[in-house]
Amino acid sequence: MVTASETDQKLVQRARRGDLRAFDLLVLKYQGRISALVSRYISDPGEVEDVTQEAFIKAYRALERFRGDSAFYTWLYRIAANAAKNHLVAKGRRPRSDASIEDAEAFDEFGLSSDSGSPEAIAMGDELVSVVDAAMQALPEELRAALTLRELEGLSYDDIAEVLGCPVGTVRSRIFRAREAIDERVREQISGGSGFR
Amino acid sequence: MTTRDKDKEALSALMDGESQELELRRSLDSVENDDALRAWWSRQQQVSEILQSQRSSQTGLDVSARVRSTLASQPQFQRNPLRSMAIAASVTLAVVMGGQALLPTADLAPAPLVSDIGGAVVPVIGAQPIRASFDARPVPVSTQPPQAQGTGARQAAAAYERLARDRYLRLGAQHARAAALNHPAPFVHSMRAQTEPPLEVQDSK
Repeated sequence: MVTASETDQKLVQRARRGDLRAFDLLVLKYQGRISALVSRYISDPGEVEDVTQEAFIKAYRALERFRGDSAFYTWLYRIAANAAKNHLVAKGRRPRSDASIEDAEAFDEFGLSSDSGSPEAIAMGDELVSVVDAAMQALPEELRAALTLRELEGLSYDDIAEVLGCPVGTVRSRIFRAREAIDERVREQISGGSGFR
Repeated sequence: MTTRDKDKEALSALMDGESQELELRRSLDSVENDDALRAWWSRQQQVSEILQSQRSSQTGLDVSARVRSTLASQPQFQRNPLRSMAIAASVTLAVVMGGQALLPTADLAPAPLVSDIGGAVVPVIGAQPIRASFDARPVPVSTQPPQAQGTGARQAAAAYERLARDRYLRLGAQHARAAALNHPAPFVHSMRAQTEPPLEVQDSK
Protein backbone atom coordinates (compact mmCIF):
# COMPACT_ATOMS: atom_id res chain seq x y z
CA MET A 1 0.00 0.00 0.00
CA VAL A 2 1.26 3.45 -0.90
CA THR A 3 0.04 6.35 1.19
CA ALA A 4 -0.21 10.04 0.48
CA SER A 5 2.24 10.66 3.29
CA GLU A 6 5.00 9.12 1.18
CA THR A 7 4.46 11.81 -1.41
CA ASP A 8 4.46 14.39 1.36
CA GLN A 9 7.66 12.96 2.74
CA LYS A 10 9.40 13.28 -0.61
CA LEU A 11 8.22 16.86 -1.03
CA VAL A 12 9.12 17.77 2.55
CA GLN A 13 12.62 16.39 2.11
CA ARG A 14 13.13 18.57 -0.94
CA ALA A 15 11.55 21.60 0.71
CA ARG A 16 13.89 21.20 3.66
CA ARG A 17 16.77 21.48 1.23
CA GLY A 18 15.37 24.80 0.02
CA ASP A 19 13.25 23.66 -2.91
CA LEU A 20 10.38 26.14 -2.86
CA ARG A 21 8.69 24.32 -5.76
CA ALA A 22 8.24 21.25 -3.59
CA PHE A 23 6.79 23.35 -0.79
CA ASP A 24 4.52 25.05 -3.31
CA LEU A 25 3.00 21.66 -4.19
CA LEU A 26 2.36 21.04 -0.50
CA VAL A 27 0.67 24.43 -0.19
CA LEU A 28 -1.50 23.68 -3.22
CA LYS A 29 -2.37 20.33 -1.75
CA TYR A 30 -3.34 21.47 1.71
CA GLN A 31 -4.46 25.07 1.46
CA GLY A 32 -8.11 24.07 1.11
CA ARG A 33 -8.11 22.01 4.28
CA ILE A 34 -6.03 24.49 6.24
CA SER A 35 -8.17 27.47 5.25
CA ALA A 36 -11.28 25.43 6.16
CA LEU A 37 -9.75 24.84 9.57
CA VAL A 38 -8.83 28.49 10.06
CA SER A 39 -12.29 29.61 9.00
CA ARG A 40 -13.69 27.69 11.91
CA TYR A 41 -11.85 30.01 14.26
CA ILE A 42 -12.09 33.24 12.29
CA SER A 43 -15.05 34.49 10.29
CA ASP A 44 -13.55 37.35 8.31
CA PRO A 45 -12.44 35.98 4.89
CA GLY A 46 -9.52 38.41 4.65
CA GLU A 47 -8.21 37.37 8.04
CA VAL A 48 -8.68 33.71 7.15
CA GLU A 49 -6.48 34.25 4.09
CA ASP A 50 -3.84 36.08 6.14
CA VAL A 51 -3.72 33.46 8.87
CA THR A 52 -3.65 30.61 6.33
CA GLN A 53 -0.71 32.25 4.59
CA GLU A 54 1.00 32.85 7.92
CA ALA A 55 0.54 29.19 8.87
CA PHE A 56 2.27 27.97 5.72
CA ILE A 57 5.15 30.41 6.14
CA LYS A 58 5.58 29.35 9.75
CA ALA A 59 5.54 25.74 8.63
CA TYR A 60 8.25 26.38 6.05
CA ARG A 61 10.42 28.11 8.62
CA ALA A 62 9.92 25.22 11.03
CA LEU A 63 10.48 22.45 8.47
CA GLU A 64 13.86 21.57 9.94
CA ARG A 65 12.13 20.74 13.20
CA PHE A 66 9.65 18.41 11.49
CA ARG A 67 10.93 14.97 12.41
CA GLY A 68 8.33 12.96 10.56
CA ASP A 69 7.01 11.34 13.75
CA SER A 70 3.53 12.32 12.62
CA ALA A 71 2.07 12.89 9.17
CA PHE A 72 3.01 16.19 7.62
CA TYR A 73 -0.63 17.27 7.52
CA THR A 74 -1.10 16.60 11.24
CA TRP A 75 1.95 18.72 11.99
CA LEU A 76 0.75 21.44 9.64
CA TYR A 77 -2.70 21.33 11.18
CA ARG A 78 -1.30 22.08 14.63
CA ILE A 79 0.69 25.01 13.30
CA ALA A 80 -2.41 26.42 11.62
CA ALA A 81 -4.60 25.92 14.69
CA ASN A 82 -2.02 27.71 16.85
CA ALA A 83 -1.71 30.52 14.31
CA ALA A 84 -5.48 31.00 14.39
CA LYS A 85 -5.58 30.96 18.19
CA ASN A 86 -2.69 33.42 18.43
CA HIS A 87 -4.40 35.67 15.90
CA LEU A 88 -7.54 35.77 18.03
CA VAL A 89 -5.56 36.41 21.22
CA ALA A 90 -3.66 39.25 19.54
CA LYS A 91 -6.94 40.79 18.44
CA GLY A 92 -8.47 40.26 21.87
CA ARG A 93 -11.25 38.22 20.32
CA ARG A 94 -12.89 34.90 20.90
CA PRO A 95 -13.44 32.21 18.28
CA ARG A 96 -16.57 32.31 16.16
CA SER A 97 -19.61 31.53 18.26
CA ASP A 98 -20.49 28.50 16.15
CA ALA A 99 -17.06 26.85 16.39
CA SER A 100 -15.34 25.94 19.61
CA ILE A 101 -11.65 25.16 19.69
CA GLU A 102 -12.38 21.59 20.72
CA ASP A 103 -14.83 21.18 17.86
CA ALA A 104 -12.38 22.55 15.35
CA GLU A 105 -9.69 20.23 16.61
CA ALA A 106 -11.92 17.19 16.32
CA PHE A 107 -10.82 16.56 12.80
CA ASP A 108 -10.74 13.38 10.86
CA GLU A 109 -7.92 12.19 8.63
CA PHE A 110 -8.95 14.63 5.93
CA GLY A 111 -8.97 17.56 8.30
CA LEU A 112 -12.68 17.98 8.02
CA SER A 113 -15.09 18.32 10.88
CA SER A 114 -18.59 17.00 10.47
CA ASP A 115 -19.79 20.56 10.10
CA SER A 116 -17.30 22.26 7.86
CA GLY A 117 -17.66 25.93 7.10
CA SER A 118 -20.53 28.18 6.14
CA PRO A 119 -23.82 26.94 4.64
CA GLU A 120 -22.69 28.28 1.27
CA ALA A 121 -19.42 26.42 1.47
CA ILE A 122 -21.20 23.26 2.51
CA ALA A 123 -23.63 23.55 -0.41
CA MET A 124 -20.77 24.21 -2.83
CA GLY A 125 -18.88 21.24 -1.43
CA ASP A 126 -21.91 18.97 -1.72
CA GLU A 127 -22.41 19.98 -5.32
CA LEU A 128 -18.78 19.25 -6.09
CA VAL A 129 -19.08 15.85 -4.48
CA SER A 130 -22.05 15.11 -6.75
CA VAL A 131 -20.15 16.18 -9.85
CA VAL A 132 -17.15 14.05 -8.95
CA ASP A 133 -19.36 11.05 -8.24
CA ALA A 134 -21.13 11.48 -11.57
CA ALA A 135 -17.81 11.83 -13.39
CA MET A 136 -16.56 8.68 -11.69
CA GLN A 137 -19.61 6.72 -12.75
CA ALA A 138 -19.23 7.92 -16.33
CA LEU A 139 -15.70 6.51 -16.61
CA PRO A 140 -15.05 3.41 -18.72
CA GLU A 141 -14.90 0.35 -16.49
CA GLU A 142 -11.15 -0.22 -16.87
CA LEU A 143 -10.36 3.36 -15.84
CA ARG A 144 -12.83 3.38 -12.95
CA ALA A 145 -11.46 0.10 -11.61
CA ALA A 146 -7.88 1.36 -11.64
CA LEU A 147 -8.76 4.66 -9.94
CA THR A 148 -11.00 2.95 -7.38
CA LEU A 149 -8.28 0.52 -6.37
CA ARG A 150 -5.86 3.41 -6.00
CA GLU A 151 -8.04 6.01 -4.27
CA LEU A 152 -10.39 3.88 -2.23
CA GLU A 153 -8.30 0.79 -1.57
CA GLY A 154 -4.97 2.58 -1.43
CA LEU A 155 -3.22 -0.10 -3.48
CA SER A 156 0.16 0.49 -5.06
CA TYR A 157 0.55 0.42 -8.82
CA ASP A 158 2.23 -2.99 -8.54
CA ASP A 159 -0.70 -4.40 -6.59
CA ILE A 160 -3.24 -2.88 -8.96
CA ALA A 161 -1.37 -4.37 -11.91
CA GLU A 162 -1.59 -7.76 -10.26
CA VAL A 163 -5.29 -7.40 -9.51
CA LEU A 164 -6.16 -6.19 -12.99
CA GLY A 165 -3.69 -8.46 -14.76
CA CYS A 166 -2.00 -5.75 -16.74
CA PRO A 167 1.43 -4.06 -16.79
CA VAL A 168 2.28 -1.38 -14.23
CA GLY A 169 2.68 1.15 -17.03
CA THR A 170 -0.89 0.48 -18.09
CA VAL A 171 -2.10 1.04 -14.53
CA ARG A 172 -0.27 4.34 -14.37
CA SER A 173 -1.76 5.40 -17.69
CA ARG A 174 -5.30 4.35 -16.76
CA ILE A 175 -5.20 6.21 -13.46
CA PHE A 176 -3.99 9.33 -15.20
CA ARG A 177 -6.65 9.07 -17.90
CA ALA A 178 -9.33 8.58 -15.26
CA ARG A 179 -8.17 11.67 -13.41
CA GLU A 180 -8.01 13.66 -16.60
CA ALA A 181 -11.56 12.63 -17.53
CA ILE A 182 -12.86 13.64 -14.10
CA ASP A 183 -10.94 16.89 -14.31
CA GLU A 184 -12.70 17.82 -17.52
CA ARG A 185 -16.03 17.66 -15.70
CA VAL A 186 -15.03 19.42 -12.48
CA ARG A 187 -12.58 21.97 -13.89
CA GLU A 188 -15.05 24.79 -14.32
CA GLN A 189 -16.64 24.21 -10.96
CA ILE A 190 -13.39 24.21 -9.01
CA SER A 191 -11.82 26.97 -11.08
CA GLY A 192 -14.80 29.17 -10.34
CA GLY A 193 -14.17 28.98 -6.64
CA SER A 194 -10.46 28.53 -6.17
CA GLY A 195 -9.04 31.47 -7.99
CA PHE A 196 -7.29 29.30 -10.57
CA ARG A 197 -7.96 30.05 -14.18
CA MET B 1 0.59 11.94 -25.82
CA THR B 2 1.59 15.59 -25.59
CA THR B 3 4.30 16.97 -23.35
CA ARG B 4 1.58 18.50 -21.21
CA ASP B 5 -0.09 15.11 -20.82
CA LYS B 6 3.23 13.54 -19.86
CA ASP B 7 3.71 16.23 -17.23
CA LYS B 8 0.24 15.57 -15.86
CA GLU B 9 0.79 11.83 -15.84
CA ALA B 10 4.01 12.38 -13.89
CA LEU B 11 2.13 14.54 -11.39
CA SER B 12 -0.52 11.85 -11.14
CA ALA B 13 2.17 9.31 -10.27
CA LEU B 14 3.65 11.76 -7.77
CA MET B 15 0.25 12.05 -6.08
CA ASP B 16 0.28 8.31 -5.59
CA GLY B 17 3.83 8.16 -4.24
CA GLU B 18 4.87 6.27 -7.40
CA SER B 19 7.27 8.90 -8.72
CA GLN B 20 10.99 8.21 -8.75
CA GLU B 21 13.52 10.87 -7.82
CA LEU B 22 14.40 11.79 -11.39
CA GLU B 23 10.77 12.06 -12.40
CA LEU B 24 10.02 14.09 -9.28
CA ARG B 25 12.70 16.55 -10.31
CA ARG B 26 11.23 16.79 -13.78
CA SER B 27 7.78 17.37 -12.34
CA LEU B 28 9.06 20.18 -10.15
CA ASP B 29 10.76 21.72 -13.16
CA SER B 30 7.62 21.52 -15.26
CA VAL B 31 5.30 22.84 -12.58
CA GLU B 32 7.52 25.74 -11.57
CA ASN B 33 6.34 28.23 -14.16
CA ASP B 34 3.16 26.59 -15.34
CA ASP B 35 0.08 27.81 -13.52
CA ALA B 36 -2.15 25.45 -15.49
CA LEU B 37 -0.19 22.45 -14.22
CA ARG B 38 -0.26 23.81 -10.68
CA ALA B 39 -4.02 24.23 -10.98
CA TRP B 40 -4.34 20.67 -12.28
CA TRP B 41 -2.40 19.37 -9.28
CA SER B 42 -4.58 21.41 -6.92
CA ARG B 43 -7.83 20.20 -8.48
CA GLN B 44 -6.67 16.61 -8.37
CA GLN B 45 -6.00 16.93 -4.65
CA GLN B 46 -9.57 18.09 -4.15
CA VAL B 47 -10.97 15.29 -6.30
CA SER B 48 -8.88 12.76 -4.40
CA GLU B 49 -10.16 14.14 -1.11
CA ILE B 50 -13.76 13.84 -2.32
CA LEU B 51 -13.29 10.30 -3.61
CA GLN B 52 -11.82 9.20 -0.31
CA SER B 53 -14.06 11.08 2.10
CA GLN B 54 -17.16 12.05 0.12
CA ARG B 55 -16.61 15.54 1.43
CA SER B 56 -14.92 18.67 0.18
CA SER B 57 -13.00 21.28 2.15
CA GLN B 58 -13.08 23.78 -0.69
CA THR B 59 -13.12 27.35 0.57
CA GLY B 60 -12.28 29.05 -2.71
CA LEU B 61 -9.09 30.39 -1.18
CA ASP B 62 -5.72 30.36 -2.92
CA VAL B 63 -2.77 31.58 -0.89
CA SER B 64 -0.15 29.65 -2.85
CA ALA B 65 1.02 32.60 -4.93
CA ARG B 66 1.34 34.82 -1.85
CA VAL B 67 3.21 32.17 0.10
CA ARG B 68 5.51 31.53 -2.83
CA SER B 69 6.33 35.18 -3.41
CA THR B 70 6.82 35.83 0.30
CA LEU B 71 9.26 32.95 0.67
CA ALA B 72 11.06 33.80 -2.55
CA SER B 73 11.45 37.47 -1.68
CA GLN B 74 12.85 37.04 1.81
CA PRO B 75 16.44 35.79 1.85
CA GLN B 76 16.17 34.49 5.40
CA PHE B 77 13.65 31.93 4.18
CA GLN B 78 16.05 30.59 1.59
CA ARG B 79 17.88 27.53 2.70
CA ASN B 80 21.59 28.14 2.49
CA PRO B 81 23.42 25.32 0.72
CA LEU B 82 26.49 26.24 2.76
CA ARG B 83 24.70 24.75 5.74
CA SER B 84 24.83 21.37 4.05
CA MET B 85 28.48 22.01 3.23
CA ALA B 86 29.15 22.78 6.88
CA ILE B 87 27.55 19.52 7.90
CA ALA B 88 29.52 17.64 5.25
CA ALA B 89 32.72 19.30 6.43
CA SER B 90 31.94 18.30 10.00
CA VAL B 91 31.45 14.70 8.98
CA THR B 92 34.66 14.70 6.97
CA LEU B 93 36.47 16.22 9.91
CA ALA B 94 35.16 13.48 12.17
CA VAL B 95 36.35 10.86 9.68
CA VAL B 96 39.81 12.44 9.53
CA MET B 97 39.99 12.64 13.30
CA GLY B 98 38.84 9.04 13.52
CA GLY B 99 41.58 8.08 11.08
CA GLN B 100 44.11 9.89 13.23
CA ALA B 101 42.95 7.92 16.24
CA LEU B 102 43.58 4.70 14.36
CA LEU B 103 47.14 5.68 13.54
CA PRO B 104 49.72 3.64 15.38
CA THR B 105 52.12 5.42 17.65
CA ALA B 106 55.74 5.83 16.60
CA ASP B 107 56.95 2.93 18.67
CA LEU B 108 54.18 0.66 17.46
CA ALA B 109 54.32 1.14 13.70
CA PRO B 110 52.54 -1.38 11.50
CA ALA B 111 54.46 -4.39 10.38
CA PRO B 112 54.57 -4.96 6.65
CA LEU B 113 52.69 -8.02 5.60
CA VAL B 114 54.71 -10.57 3.79
CA SER B 115 53.40 -13.70 2.15
CA ASP B 116 55.12 -16.52 0.38
CA ILE B 117 52.85 -16.39 -2.67
CA GLY B 118 54.94 -13.74 -4.35
CA GLY B 119 54.39 -10.09 -5.23
CA ALA B 120 54.87 -6.95 -3.19
CA VAL B 121 52.60 -6.29 -0.24
CA VAL B 122 51.83 -2.66 0.50
CA PRO B 123 51.95 -1.78 4.18
CA VAL B 124 48.64 -0.29 5.32
CA ILE B 125 48.84 2.08 8.22
CA GLY B 126 46.52 1.12 11.01
CA ALA B 127 45.70 -2.25 9.46
CA GLN B 128 46.18 -5.32 11.56
CA PRO B 129 47.51 -8.53 10.06
CA ILE B 130 45.00 -11.30 9.68
CA ARG B 131 45.35 -14.91 8.71
CA ALA B 132 43.59 -16.16 5.64
CA SER B 133 43.81 -19.12 3.34
CA PHE B 134 44.56 -19.32 -0.36
CA ASP B 135 43.14 -22.52 -1.75
CA ALA B 136 43.99 -25.12 0.83
CA ARG B 137 47.32 -23.50 1.68
CA PRO B 138 47.50 -21.13 4.62
CA VAL B 139 49.01 -17.72 3.90
CA PRO B 140 51.65 -16.92 6.46
CA VAL B 141 51.54 -13.50 8.05
CA SER B 142 54.60 -11.63 9.04
CA THR B 143 55.23 -11.26 12.71
CA GLN B 144 58.29 -9.08 12.36
CA PRO B 145 58.99 -6.94 15.42
CA PRO B 146 58.50 -3.15 15.03
CA GLN B 147 62.20 -2.40 15.05
CA ALA B 148 62.69 -4.65 12.03
CA GLN B 149 60.67 -2.48 9.68
CA GLY B 150 62.41 -0.25 7.18
CA THR B 151 62.38 3.48 6.75
CA GLY B 152 59.75 3.19 3.98
CA ALA B 153 56.96 2.53 6.43
CA ARG B 154 58.04 5.40 8.65
CA GLN B 155 58.15 7.75 5.66
CA ALA B 156 54.69 6.60 4.60
CA ALA B 157 53.37 7.23 8.09
CA ALA B 158 54.93 10.69 8.18
CA ALA B 159 53.52 11.56 4.77
CA TYR B 160 50.07 10.40 5.81
CA GLU B 161 50.19 12.46 8.97
CA ARG B 162 51.28 15.53 7.02
CA LEU B 163 48.43 15.09 4.53
CA ALA B 164 45.92 14.51 7.31
CA ARG B 165 47.11 17.61 9.20
CA ASP B 166 46.84 19.79 6.10
CA ARG B 167 43.40 18.43 5.34
CA TYR B 168 42.30 18.94 8.94
CA LEU B 169 43.37 22.59 8.91
CA ARG B 170 41.76 23.23 5.53
CA LEU B 171 38.46 21.61 6.47
CA GLY B 172 38.47 23.29 9.87
CA ALA B 173 38.69 26.72 8.27
CA GLN B 174 36.05 25.80 5.71
CA HIS B 175 33.76 24.53 8.44
CA ALA B 176 34.21 27.71 10.48
CA ARG B 177 33.38 29.90 7.49
CA ALA B 178 30.29 27.89 6.57
CA ALA B 179 29.07 27.73 10.16
CA ALA B 180 29.60 31.47 10.59
CA LEU B 181 27.49 32.21 7.52
CA ASN B 182 24.60 30.26 8.98
CA HIS B 183 24.92 31.53 12.53
CA PRO B 184 22.31 34.01 13.89
CA ALA B 185 25.20 36.38 14.71
CA PRO B 186 27.26 35.91 11.57
CA PHE B 187 29.39 39.03 11.97
CA VAL B 188 31.00 37.96 15.21
CA HIS B 189 31.65 34.45 14.03
CA SER B 190 32.85 35.51 10.64
CA MET B 191 35.37 37.75 12.36
CA ARG B 192 36.47 34.87 14.51
CA ALA B 193 36.75 32.61 11.51
CA GLN B 194 38.88 35.15 9.72
CA THR B 195 41.09 36.36 12.53
CA GLU B 196 41.73 33.35 14.70
CA PRO B 197 44.93 31.51 13.87
CA PRO B 198 44.49 27.97 12.63
CA LEU B 199 44.40 25.32 15.24
CA GLU B 200 47.79 23.79 15.72
CA VAL B 201 47.94 20.06 15.63
CA GLN B 202 50.53 18.29 17.66
CA ASP B 203 52.84 16.32 15.52
CA SER B 204 52.73 12.83 16.87
CA LYS B 205 56.25 12.19 15.82
